[in-house]
Amino acid sequence: MLRVENLNSGYGKLHVLYDVSIDCGKKEIISVIGPNGAGKTTLLNSIFGIADIYSGSIKLDGEEITKLPPHIIARKGVAYVLQMINIFSELSVDENLRISMALSGDKSSDMLDYVYELFPILKERKKQRAGTLSGGERQMLAMSIGLVRNPKLLLLDEPTAGLMPLYVNLIMKKIGEIRDQKGLSIVLVEQNVQKALEVADKVYVIVSGQVVFKGLPSELMGEREIMKLYLGMGD
Amino acid sequence: MQIAISVGTFMQALVWSSILSLTAIGITLLYRTTRVPNFAHASFVTTGIYSSTIVWVFGFHPYWGIPLGFILGGLVAVLLFYMLEPLRKRKASIFLLMVATLSFDILMYGVLNILADTLQFEFKILSRNIYFVPMDLDIAGIRGIVLISLAAFLVTMIALQLLLYRTNLGVALRACMENPSLAQTLGINVSRMLLISWFIAGATAGVAGALLPFYQMCNTYTGTYYLAEMFCASTVGGLDYLIGAPIGSFLLGFAKILLLSSLASVVGPDIINYMMIIPLSILVITLAVLPTGIAPLIMKRRGV
Amino acid sequence: MEQIFEQILLFVTSFIAVYSVYLIASVSLNIQRGYAGIPQFGLVFPIAGAAYIMGNLSTRLAMWILGIKTELDPIYESSGVIALINPILSSNPLLSIALFILCLIIGAIVGAILGLIQVGPAIRLRIDYLGLTLLAFGEIANVIARAYRPLIGGEYGVQVPSVFGWAGKNTIVAMTAAMLIIALIIYAYAEYLGRTPMGRTMKAIRDNEVAAAALGKSLVKYRAIAIVIGSAFCGIAGVLWAFFNGSVMPGQFVRFNWTFLPWLMILLGGIGNNRGALVGTTVFVALDRFITYYKHEFVGLLPFDVIWLYQILLGAITAFILIYRPQGVLPERPYIPKDVRERVKNIIASSS
Repeated sequence: MLRVENLNSGYGKLHVLYDVSIDCGKKEIISVIGPNGAGKTTLLNSIFGIADIYSGSIKLDGEEITKLPPHIIARKGVAYVLQMINIFSELSVDENLRISMALSGDKSSDMLDYVYELFPILKERKKQRAGTLSGGERQMLAMSIGLVRNPKLLLLDEPTAGLMPLYVNLIMKKIGEIRDQKGLSIVLVEQNVQKALEVADKVYVIVSGQVVFKGLPSELMGEREIMKLYLGMGD
Repeated sequence: MQIAISVGTFMQALVWSSILSLTAIGITLLYRTTRVPNFAHASFVTTGIYSSTIVWVFGFHPYWGIPLGFILGGLVAVLLFYMLEPLRKRKASIFLLMVATLSFDILMYGVLNILADTLQFEFKILSRNIYFVPMDLDIAGIRGIVLISLAAFLVTMIALQLLLYRTNLGVALRACMENPSLAQTLGINVSRMLLISWFIAGATAGVAGALLPFYQMCNTYTGTYYLAEMFCASTVGGLDYLIGAPIGSFLLGFAKILLLSSLASVVGPDIINYMMIIPLSILVITLAVLPTGIAPLIMKRRGV
Repeated sequence: MEQIFEQILLFVTSFIAVYSVYLIASVSLNIQRGYAGIPQFGLVFPIAGAAYIMGNLSTRLAMWILGIKTELDPIYESSGVIALINPILSSNPLLSIALFILCLIIGAIVGAILGLIQVGPAIRLRIDYLGLTLLAFGEIANVIARAYRPLIGGEYGVQVPSVFGWAGKNTIVAMTAAMLIIALIIYAYAEYLGRTPMGRTMKAIRDNEVAAAALGKSLVKYRAIAIVIGSAFCGIAGVLWAFFNGSVMPGQFVRFNWTFLPWLMILLGGIGNNRGALVGTTVFVALDRFITYYKHEFVGLLPFDVIWLYQILLGAITAFILIYRPQGVLPERPYIPKDVRERVKNIIASSS
């Protein structure tokens, strides 16, 4: 579904990613982990057309999306859930979801029902102003805003950052469910290594803008050097 | 002491408030979408003034300046938008954006003065003395400007309301005002939304400028002269809500005209020189008490 | 031959005079914007305000110092009063200088107060609100000057005493030399200020308010200091300009000249960078003087006044700078105190 080949990108003169290649198939979750500032968010920004791409190619479902503007990429079926300020805080939960649906042109309410099933707490707080939701509930809403557009590819930027363990577990579980139930491709950028490995089908470790590891989570566990040096996981 | 407010004074306040609203709504709209106070709004208004002048020298009734002012004002605004785009994409600081609008204003001031000089040279008019009051229409005993400016104001407000709340474009615009990065992830072309809002802002300011010569004598400095007052109106109303623009404008407009007319009978005609003090004082007082203007007070009560 | 020399002298002295005043204005803006992050789009207010108040007071002060009594009104009949004052001043260099310095001091104080009045109430506003409030406020000085006739006689303005008349033929040279010296002193002080702990704190606040506040630095206090110092300089600039012109009139100070141009100068030179302000000021003052002196050459060539091209040019140059080189010609280099530099050098030396 998503194929990134030899991507070199950054912001203006700041070169962040060097020859990065990523693959994400249908019904697959890939986790992208690594130290702070490694370029994980830049990877998402590059896929979505926000960062400056110096060379390389990005293909979505076989189609070249490398130099397309962000709003076109969004319309091609990519849902980018930002890490912060990712909801319309002045609107209610339901209004947030309906706006997203209206803008995607998808009139059917299937995804809306699905999202309320997936996150019953949102259904409970339907009429509540989004700004008054707790951190975890906000992230659920943010993800739902993306899901409700029936995307092919879901980009998640640290969805569990700053959340309490209860929500971390819940959201990770739901991400797995989304993959299973809707067959989406999901690129999950995460700081929480443990959780990221638990839910991923494939994992990429990015350090200083380069991919230093690519493989199964179980394989990564065996790479003690990487675990220790870059991911802060001791012996 | 009885302060009698004559019908004439009331109508004058109505006219001024309507014209002021047309400018303030643009300022607030631009502030909400592009997050920058637009110092070039002065030029948009002056462009409108000279739109009326242009149709007049070509033999038409200057009220035809309204559609021309709408178009030219919008186009000038779009020009500034294209100048700001690279800055905005680079996430330039608000200082740079403000200086950018200021420099565009200077540039347009030069252009408009050249236009004025050329019109004077070619058509032998006094282009620094644009005054159409004698040519105003008489509609059932009332001066045309009263009804036309009020109509322009109402039409604009209604049209905006319809646009923003009844169309998909409006939804996208509001999403942009609320949260541009989120709007982008939802497939909204933020650049295009901004382009549209700049056109609207410039167009309404252009209409305001086209109407001004029916209210007072205008020249190339008129827009600049009223810039502070336009900002006062938007700010007092509250820059966070579009409804703040008409609220602030009518408050300021009526306060100014009514105060001036009642003080004039006491102090004498010298009072006209102090006109600017009233809006500025109201601004300072309002911001001291309500740092984000009046509108939030009203909107928050409605649970919005 | 002598005529050409005179012409050159005239050009050079007017250049230096304009340059000095604008240098002070730019440095002041650098302090308010560059050091304390205040969007002072109403710079004209303390400059004009101090000039107008000095216009009102200077004649009376001169009369008081010289012991002159007259029936003439110092404001409405200022030229008559000045005619009485100037001859006495010319034969009294010490008193003249004393008057000059006294006026400068008062101008600085007035400027500082006006700056505080203008920015103070709005200090807690968000940057954008602050910017446009200051701009709106800046217009008020001219309004009051026109409207309140007892200030400087309304539209007619007032004359100010000639404090360098004692130099006879070299009056203008003496005046411009003094202006330049004062401007350079102010420039040097501003540079020094940037290196003091207070100056560095201000810059820290500008760069990251939250971090600075977390370290216990009072935002309001440091901003207030920057305003006071910056506006005092503005006052001095206004007073110098008044003395150079020999008179004060409403409309002498417009937003274009005294707010926009200084912003342009510091933009070209690099915001916050005083050395850059030297460069920026030079470029635009040169342009301004060139246009002023040669614009009559253009009459007849164009159906409009060449001054409009000047404004278009400036607008375009600013746009160009903003888009292609917003950091200015000489970008700001963070100042590292000498002892820190020494320590870093030692660390590097010992680790290799």
